[in-house]
Amino acid sequence: MKPDKPSIKKLYALSTEGHKFSFSLPLKNVIRVNGRDYNIELREDEKYGIHILWKNRRYPVEIVRTKQNRYEILFNDIGHIFTVETPISMQRKKVLGAGRSKSGTLTVRAPMPGKIIDVLVRENAEVIKGEALVILEAMKMQNEIQSVVSGRVTRVGVKAGQNVMKDDMLAEITVK
Amino acid sequence: MGIKCVAIRTSAEPDAMYLSYADIIHEEEDENAEIPVFLDIEKLINVAVASKCDALHPGYGFLAENAYFAEKCRDHGITFIGPSPDAIYKMGNKPVARQIAMRHGIPMAMGTPGNVADEDEALKHAARIGYPVIIKAASGGGGRGMRIVRQESEMEKMFILASREAEKAFNDPSVFIEKYIENPKHIEFQILGDTHGNIIHLGERECSIQRKHQKLLEEAPSPALDEELRQRMGETAVRIASAVGYYSAGTVEFLLDSDRNFYFMEMNTRIQVEHPVTEMITGIDLIEQQIRIAGGEALTLKQEDIRLTGWAIECRINAEDVQAGFAPSPGRIEKISFPEEPGIRVDTGVRAGSSIVASYDSMVAKLIVTGTDRRQAIRNTKIALDKVWIKGTKTTLPFFRMLMRNHLFQEGTFTTAFIEKDLEKFHTSSEYEETIAAWLATKLFVEENLTDNKTNINFDQSRELTPWLLRKRLTQF
Repeated sequence: MKPDKPSIKKLYALSTEGHKFSFSLPLKNVIRVNGRDYNIELREDEKYGIHILWKNRRYPVEIVRTKQNRYEILFNDIGHIFTVETPISMQRKKVLGAGRSKSGTLTVRAPMPGKIIDVLVRENAEVIKGEALVILEAMKMQNEIQSVVSGRVTRVGVKAGQNVMKDDMLAEITVK
Repeated sequence: MGIKCVAIRTSAEPDAMYLSYADIIHEEEDENAEIPVFLDIEKLINVAVASKCDALHPGYGFLAENAYFAEKCRDHGITFIGPSPDAIYKMGNKPVARQIAMRHGIPMAMGTPGNVADEDEALKHAARIGYPVIIKAASGGGGRGMRIVRQESEMEKMFILASREAEKAFNDPSVFIEKYIENPKHIEFQILGDTHGNIIHLGERECSIQRKHQKLLEEAPSPALDEELRQRMGETAVRIASAVGYYSAGTVEFLLDSDRNFYFMEMNTRIQVEHPVTEMITGIDLIEQQIRIAGGEALTLKQEDIRLTGWAIECRINAEDVQAGFAPSPGRIEKISFPEEPGIRVDTGVRAGSSIVASYDSMVAKLIVTGTDRRQAIRNTKIALDKVWIKGTKTTLPFFRMLMRNHLFQEGTFTTAFIEKDLEKFHTSSEYEETIAAWLATKLFVEENLTDNKTNINFDQSRELTPWLLRKRLTQF
């Protein structure tokens, strides 16, 4: 049995784009728009599956993944990622965030399952932002997987001809 | 048309929807086959012969533009529903097609007369034509083996990439070079020809909304053409088709620059994915025409009978993740429904329970919406898109919902560079949508961590939640 948490009065949902939404507890089934409250309902039925009913319209919704306090939600076919924080964890996050440095190692992962057609970099190679690292073929399309940072390749995780799954490590780049 | 139809069941999609339309189903165990049965010429011919097929429709993928396959069909007494093997070969081999077009005075972008042997030759040609140039696979299509080269220093790398890609994709490393026309519109003309030498065109399709040379949305007619230009381009298209003695349905693709100059790009010797938009504004069933032509009937339609009425827009709803750069998003379709209203047509091969498998294309459905004019068609499409319901996989729906609200799209002045240059985001979500998603995340958090009640949300996906970790952290403070 979990103990009751009467002390928490508010929760924050932070999006990966930096938007912050706050909700008072106990959580009500309403969303406030321009000072007016609208009821929101989470439903499931045979024809539509899980959906949200809001302002007389049905929207498809999916809980894609949850990990600790991180929630990936698909709403109206668009994915959103939030971390939900209590006022206290929020404060702690701020303190921790301030001490983090910018440099480090970036792991490049496969954005989709597919086959590696070509590996264009070697270990220790210097790459610039936008440079193609590997060519990944998925569903008849060849995709250049580019480096999003400039730096040095410290590890190459794949070979040409190899099949990869989504999120498999392709390369590691140490940011300059 | 009262024709009995044979279809092949494959191991990859044993309960595919197309099978429900077939009169006879041929079982094919191709689980361990090296190539899918739809690419296996010998197997297909055997199936067709064994099931006593009179004719074979090659669709718009796989072997639809394979001259050898068309010839094999003919050799076995099976009517290939498409053009002659000779026409497929001539138009399918781009240097040959270019030579034919040149002989007939068809306007084209400057290029190499034939294939380019190596990087050095490529550099010489490019210097003559002037950068930017585009390297294309001689046997290519669908954007594969294509590379744009903007300056001399990129040529060597791009040439090798293009050639290697061409070899992998088409078993033929040969490439050629053409002047690259910046920011053109992609306009194509639908052709119909019979075996008696009659050829007409059914107007154009606007296909400039594309990403990496893959079309996403097509419409007919094009906002860029007026009657005079339509007539000139249509006549040119008919002239190319006549040059190879073309019959059946075919498409002549042009690039149209901002000064209304047009250049012949290539001819597709098959029916195309986007053919419904032409059917919607002409009222002509192209597949029926193909079958009649294959049966030797003469066209009853004359050029002057062709009237373009209204406007049609086709959205290709693919299982792709718009937020991850259109990465394929294969999965099982849990729920699917479409608006059923006059003026809306849906072509789909899937239903609830179907899987979008990684071994085939990512297309889920084509949503075709009409209107009396372009504005009306856009408005109707916007409404229809909100009524499409697909659960189980991410799709390109958010892209189209955004596109219908985009001003450049609404004006119709967009070019093939639209997606890469003019769009910052491939989707939009209003603030309230994000608020609702945030509310749901918060609700989950509350139910998982702050209440004793079991959650009433049905998780159909795996979870990696470790509640004790969270609880520990919460009690620490």
